[in-house]
Amino acid sequence: MNTDSNPSAPAARHWYRGGLVAAPGTREPQPLDLLVEDGVIVAAEADLVAAGAVPAGSAAGDPAGIEVIDCAGCILLPGLFDVHVHAREPGREDKETIATAGEAAINGGVTGMVLMPNTTPAIDNGGLVQAVMDIARSRCRIPVWTSGCITKERAGRELAGIAGMKAQGVVFLTDDGSPVENPRVLRRAMEYARDFGLFTASHCETMELSGAGAMNEGPTSFRLGVPGVPAISEEICLDRDIRLAQYTGTHVHIQHVTTARGMNTIRRFKEDGVSVSCEVAPHHLMFCDEDVGDFDTHYKMNPPLRTREDNEALLQGLIDGVFDVIATDHAPHTRYEKALDFVSAPFGITGLDTALVSLFDRFIRHGHLGWDVLVTRYADEPRRLLGFEPVRLAAGERAELVVFDPRRTTRFSEDFMRSKSINTPFLNHELQGRVTRVVFGRELLLDRMDAGLDHGGDGGGRP
Amino acid sequence: MTPRKDLLDIESLTDGEIRHLLEAAVPFKALFSKSVKKVNDLAGRTVLTLFYEPSTRTRSSFEIAANRLSADVTHFQVATSAVAKGESVLDTVDTLQAMKTDYIIVRHQASGIPNLIARHTSASVLNAGDGAHAHPTQALLDGFTVRETLGEDLTGKRVVIVGDWLHSRVARSTAQLFRRMGLQVGVLGPATLIPRGLPGWLHPLASWDDLLSWQPEVIYLLRVQLERQQEQFFPSVGEYHRVYGLTEQRLRQVRDAGLWVMHPGPVNRGVELTDSVLAYERSLINRQVENGIAVRMAALAWLRPGTPFRGRLPH
Repeated sequence: MNTDSNPSAPAARHWYRGGLVAAPGTREPQPLDLLVEDGVIVAAEADLVAAGAVPAGSAAGDPAGIEVIDCAGCILLPGLFDVHVHAREPGREDKETIATAGEAAINGGVTGMVLMPNTTPAIDNGGLVQAVMDIARSRCRIPVWTSGCITKERAGRELAGIAGMKAQGVVFLTDDGSPVENPRVLRRAMEYARDFGLFTASHCETMELSGAGAMNEGPTSFRLGVPGVPAISEEICLDRDIRLAQYTGTHVHIQHVTTARGMNTIRRFKEDGVSVSCEVAPHHLMFCDEDVGDFDTHYKMNPPLRTREDNEALLQGLIDGVFDVIATDHAPHTRYEKALDFVSAPFGITGLDTALVSLFDRFIRHGHLGWDVLVTRYADEPRRLLGFEPVRLAAGERAELVVFDPRRTTRFSEDFMRSKSINTPFLNHELQGRVTRVVFGRELLLDRMDAGLDHGGDGGGRP
Repeated sequence: MTPRKDLLDIESLTDGEIRHLLEAAVPFKALFSKSVKKVNDLAGRTVLTLFYEPSTRTRSSFEIAANRLSADVTHFQVATSAVAKGESVLDTVDTLQAMKTDYIIVRHQASGIPNLIARHTSASVLNAGDGAHAHPTQALLDGFTVRETLGEDLTGKRVVIVGDWLHSRVARSTAQLFRRMGLQVGVLGPATLIPRGLPGWLHPLASWDDLLSWQPEVIYLLRVQLERQQEQFFPSVGEYHRVYGLTEQRLRQVRDAGLWVMHPGPVNRGVELTDSVLAYERSLINRQVENGIAVRMAALAWLRPGTPFRGRLPH
């Protein structure tokens, strides 16, 4: 990460005045003033003046040398953390690079992320992990981690270079994009990785059942005559992988769960004390197979969008705490590829630019989801999953925060997006809510506080 | 009836449009018994057939229909061996656009290709069959044939579509059209070839006995698409014939009940039907072929190519 002095770095003292903080434990955000000095929160009180942290009458900024950031009506939240990002580097830099994924993250209020290893070549040894981490450190403005493959070349046969990857800082192992089809291989990987403090994360799919499927098997796949992927393809593999983890005494993380039945399987294993965690992607909460409509490839992803009933069940599961984390499965593809016919087009949509705003627009503002759940599942628990401490907006902590304005809107135009790709169902849609400021320590990563109500304004903070 | 640019599926047609197409085909069919079978509806227009899947029957039917409308008809030769995905299809469409083609008749093995093409050309696109999605002119000719045979008021009458629903665009489009015409539609076939997600208005039938006791007027046999089946959906062709085929014995029952038999062709003798079905006096198979030309003329005459072309998606 670039920690050099930044010409657009904020003045030494900032007073985030009048905002409401989103935090675990309180469904409704509570008033919070923050005083940040040299990138560190030095005071966090409901009212800094009343608490004596800033002199009365300094509302205009000076004379105390404090710059006031007017947060009235805004939500303050810790920087978000996404454990499922496809940055496509190395190999498909035409779709995304680690640097552009980092900018897309910042654009969406995400200040930390984990990359998936299904690049070309796949990240299956220490040298590649080192190369990716070097790129991330030199070109990204937020901290980035990577996962590594479970098997060499993600081929599902031989174990990848686990010790070497661990030495270079890999945070977990996954063959994401594919399951490890052979359960014996996965069992060995789980057992072996355990001694290196690594867990495995599963893309759950039974390939024989998925076949050539391109969307959920159901009325819409029938109507469109598109080969279907049955829910059991995912559910059988998920059940298998959790049982393998239970048997080997290891932790397993289930990626992008899409069905109510799969989720309930995880719920039952958790109740039995099995060490399993899981994630849900925003699109699996919001969209269903019917949204494919007239062969719209922006609704093609793997695992596929399921049913309306699954959407509702997954949202309830998120509220109930079945899901440990929200993760986007940010999957950029070129326009050219997504302009192919539905069956030929690649699976996946982008998510980093849009996740927070879309979750607010669809759920939080209607009261279907509390801000506390969002912060718990998209900021705190993702960090805990990797063994990190959650970010706290409290005195003595490094400032790692997002200012979100629920009164303003975001139009996800091509110009607005920072991902190199624009394959999202929200393309050119205007949603309620706007990320207006992202701060990491001394660095002002994004600032559009003063950009007015126009769309796509970006007041700087880009390199 | 306001014309449309494209004919991609049955779903997007209104009831009025369906009625119009079925009625407009009547005078075209009447032409066939005259010595001069040609009219001038499409004089000066260019019609192009773009078939990524081998087909002689459907292509010929479209070509004859276009010729009888006095259009200039060209077949655009594409490689049917290699899998032509959306990318190369759109490159071809750009070429056809530059050639100022007015109508593109397309068949492709992937569902959704005609929809994709339609969004990228100002020409009228006629779907001549895409994957397992749709085959709207087949549905229209089937509907026309049923109407011609059973009359205009079809309310409450029954037809059963038998066979491979999973891979069949004909079943999807024809069943939809039958329903829109007021018919009740039954489904029979091995469970492995009946896809998930069938709409509730389809009536599932368990066996031929079940079918006969449901008392349909028409039995529509689907072609068993042996070439599409990379995996085994039933134990053997012989077993399929014995359990789901129109056998000699069942043909006697069908004849006794006076049922009509349809098939989209080409037939697999000894699989979905026994040879003598072709000589059965209530087989509508040849009439379907004849009517195909009439409804395709009606469709071509109704569609209107778009005017200003916005261009394809930028890369």
